[in-house]
Amino acid sequence: MKPRPPAMRAKRRYILARILPYGVTMDQKQVYLSVIEAATSLWGDAAVGFAQPAVVFCDAGYAVVRCRRGTEKDIATALATVNAIADERAALRTVATSGTIHALRRRIKPIRPLSEAGEVKFGENYFTVYRYPRHKVDLVEKGIKHQKSLFFTEADLEER
Amino acid sequence: MKITDACIHPYPAGDSTLARMALEAAGLGFDSIVAIGDVGHQSSGPEVLRGAVIGAASLKEVLRQVRDPAVRGADVVYVNAGEISFNRAIVSVKEVHVVRNIHATRRNAFDHVAARTAAERGVGVDISMAPIIQLRGTKRQRALQRYADILSLQRRYGFGLTISSDARSILGQRSVRDVRGLCALFGMTGAEVSEALSSVGRLTEPHRPVRVVG
Repeated sequence: MKPRPPAMRAKRRYILARILPYGVTMDQKQVYLSVIEAATSLWGDAAVGFAQPAVVFCDAGYAVVRCRRGTEKDIATALATVNAIADERAALRTVATSGTIHALRRRIKPIRPLSEAGEVKFGENYFTVYRYPRHKVDLVEKGIKHQKSLFFTEADLEER
Repeated sequence: MKITDACIHPYPAGDSTLARMALEAAGLGFDSIVAIGDVGHQSSGPEVLRGAVIGAASLKEVLRQVRDPAVRGADVVYVNAGEISFNRAIVSVKEVHVVRNIHATRRNAFDHVAARTAAERGVGVDISMAPIIQLRGTKRQRALQRYADILSLQRRYGFGLTISSDARSILGQRSVRDVRGLCALFGMTGAEVSEALSSVGRLTEPHRPVRVVG
């Protein structure tokens, strides 16, 4: 099938969102399902059908959401209401909006743990320690599923 | 003009420490935050104000709790809203700065009488982002209706509004830009959002005539 000429295609906008907490690898489809659930719940089927949101990229702790031009503010608001991805607590923080994915890729600054993961006992439970830039420390409870996460700073961890 | 997140609940009430939430708030565009509970010394980052929440069923209980040393030492004193007569009464209490949890009350629980008194006494009403972010369906619709109702009263009587994330985790905090988008859902304009985000200072230290001492 011959593709539609560029002048006849609908104009799109791309929203770059950072996925929190750091270090979790989210499946693109799961991110899409969360975005669609949040947008449909907030704006309804008709508005979301018109906006045509889609997750076109999901890697390195970032997701790029595509939508129809003119609806990017509504979709960005819907992204702010995402509070779980695949039954895990998460948040999407809008970083930038652009007309091209190329421009958004330049804004992606992958956030990786600074050093090897450590271990700490906190109360009765054992936590894996992940250190991130700006003295941020994430503690993830050791376990198989639905582990508790705590968000500290380096100073908080030293105090305890 | 300080952009303030009017209410956060750091560890142990939530899963994120105050220092971490302050770090996130700074990254999200806030100049100061109001933390509920024990606030230690913060050497860097945004200004941290100490908040105290009074959850009481009667005015007598509120008056007893405002005398508590922990509440007296707080920079911002919040009272959870309740029935119509309770709300009318608490906006007259001098020590109370902000009425919160308004989304959880019945319709018209904060009425024009309470609104007028709040404007006269310099008491604000808190708009929490948590119900808009966390809830879905009819519960969120009801919260949006309550906020739209509060906004119409605010436009008429001019009492102060504060905006809070009510976050117990860094995952519940939202940027100033997101807050603008979420507040637009119930008809709040950008100028009104800016006014509400910077109103904590005005509520805790209102403009008063100069008093000559000694």
